[in-house]
Amino acid sequence: MICLHKASRIVVFALSGFLIVGMGSCKVASAAGENAETQTAKPVTDCYESREDYATVSRTENAVPEYGFPSIKCSKTTGAVLWYGDPYEGTIPMGAMPEIKDQTHGNFANAVVKPREPHLTYFNLGPNGCKTCHDGKTVPNPKDGKPRLLSMHQDIVENSLELQHGRGAVWCLDCHSPTNRNKLMNRRGDKISFNQPQRICGECHGEKYIDWRAGIHGKIIGSWASDGGKRRWWVCTECHNPHTVQKNRFNPVKPEPPPPLPRGMKNASHERSETE
Amino acid sequence: MSEENNTNPEESADLDNSRRDFLRYVCTSSAAALVVASESSAAAVVEEANSADAEVTVAEFFQGHFVLMSDEEKKQAIARLEKRYSAQYGKKTTVSDVAAPDGVLFGYALDMSKCIGCRRCVHACAEENNQSRGESAIQWIQVMKIPKGNISFSAEELEKGYPEKSRFGDYGVQVGGNAYHPAGLTTEGAQSYYQDEAVPDKDFFYMPVQCQQCEKPPCVKACPVRATFRDHAGVVLIDYNWCIGCRMCQLACPYHARRFNWGEPNLPAEEMNPKTHYFGNRPRMKGVMEKCTFCVQRTREGRNPACLEACPVGARKFGNLLDPESDVRKVLATKRVFRFKEEFGTYPKFFYYIG
Repeated sequence: MICLHKASRIVVFALSGFLIVGMGSCKVASAAGENAETQTAKPVTDCYESREDYATVSRTENAVPEYGFPSIKCSKTTGAVLWYGDPYEGTIPMGAMPEIKDQTHGNFANAVVKPREPHLTYFNLGPNGCKTCHDGKTVPNPKDGKPRLLSMHQDIVENSLELQHGRGAVWCLDCHSPTNRNKLMNRRGDKISFNQPQRICGECHGEKYIDWRAGIHGKIIGSWASDGGKRRWWVCTECHNPHTVQKNRFNPVKPEPPPPLPRGMKNASHERSETE
Repeated sequence: MSEENNTNPEESADLDNSRRDFLRYVCTSSAAALVVASESSAAAVVEEANSADAEVTVAEFFQGHFVLMSDEEKKQAIARLEKRYSAQYGKKTTVSDVAAPDGVLFGYALDMSKCIGCRRCVHACAEENNQSRGESAIQWIQVMKIPKGNISFSAEELEKGYPEKSRFGDYGVQVGGNAYHPAGLTTEGAQSYYQDEAVPDKDFFYMPVQCQQCEKPPCVKACPVRATFRDHAGVVLIDYNWCIGCRMCQLACPYHARRFNWGEPNLPAEEMNPKTHYFGNRPRMKGVMEKCTFCVQRTREGRNPACLEACPVGARKFGNLLDPESDVRKVLATKRVFRFKEEFGTYPKFFYYIG
């Protein structure tokens, strides 16, 4: 009986997964068709920030009433976010950050981030997040952290025995908490929110983490002032996909259109070097 | 030659007459206008002209250099512009003249190893700064796609070149073959009009170039009327109303950073950004020069430039060069930094670095 119950839940789960993927692709296709036909008619509302599918964001009209600015303006050709009317829309405080007592310490007093949790497909399938399935009963907690072939989540990790991160030295449960799947976990077993991936990535990628804290690596928008100004920081997973870093470090992006050619010029073949 | 110079005496007399008439007309009309402008009741005349013709006002034509204006004159000039822009674009437009903050020297750093050539900065700049669109589009940032170069010289091409011979003998100077492979960081074969399906392209890197905000700007030296100048935060600005459109600054700039409005700019009202600054993104007119101002309307109020906010890879860093805690200073302290065309002695405050 219990077994049957479990099976039915998994089936429902898988079906809903397909449904969501299907809806997503349908939406992308219709948006592309619309762009090609009516380029100037209306603004693009479904946009992405760094790469497609990593950080989607939708346009709010009149987000800054003083000037009638929308929250964002997006490219009509690619759907990428080009311009921020309100750089802090939908942000939350970055949260407590560990202090590093040297000159590389970051200033996080006025740091805000966009939460990552709303962008996680499986996290948003049920009311309890990942615990909807990973409650210890429907899917029992694993006894050890040994790599094994997963029967789920192939959309995230195609072949779990060939996880494209750490070249064989890293397994899912080195970063995901085995007992609370709604959280990440560092090497000491501290639970870390999905909204603060920098705290776990930085444990191995220390050099990049120090650069990120200093404001050199990564992206910060809003105020330029190093003290006092409110700044929106990008966190690691807004640009990097930790599950595919080895094979597919970054998805290529479609560039925005080139400038118009100087008057009277038919093509830009004069730019080609003779060695090509 | 001589025939061309020999004109009909009657015709030349006509020409003389017409020239004299023209000069007389110009003198009297401009004198009258000057009298009007210098009168205390100039404001009333301005109001009248404004209501008569929202396009260009007489007062705007005769206004002085903005930096040298009194506070009262500045207020009037800005009110004129706000009124004209609001009518022209059908939305409430503000023209700010907020001064640069004290104790600040603006600087920019760009990571060459991160840039992927997506051109989002270019189009973000246009969204922010009210450049001309469409056929006559003006873009303040130029992204160059540069081949990484063939570092591995091929043995097959060893025999393809030939030593250059002269009548004095063979000095072993190689022509063609391996000698003609660009290698390393070179702008040879750079493309600015590339149309790729996806970027970054293999074997290429990208270098965005915009106004370098030089400490010794050659454009400022070249301007015969001081319409372009360096403000105390280190940004080179233009008073569009004072610019005479001679384009000397464009010739002087070694970075191809300046753009000229050959015609009336084509700026659709719905794309116009109504938050403007006098020296920044207020809509320009025909026959004036424009260029990157580090988004003076944003940075003077504490916000980052638009190109930085659009960059999807975080290759752009902006901040106060006098503040050791700023992002730019930290880049300068820890990374390998170079200035573009350093040999010209322009001392840009736009730095390129390898992250």
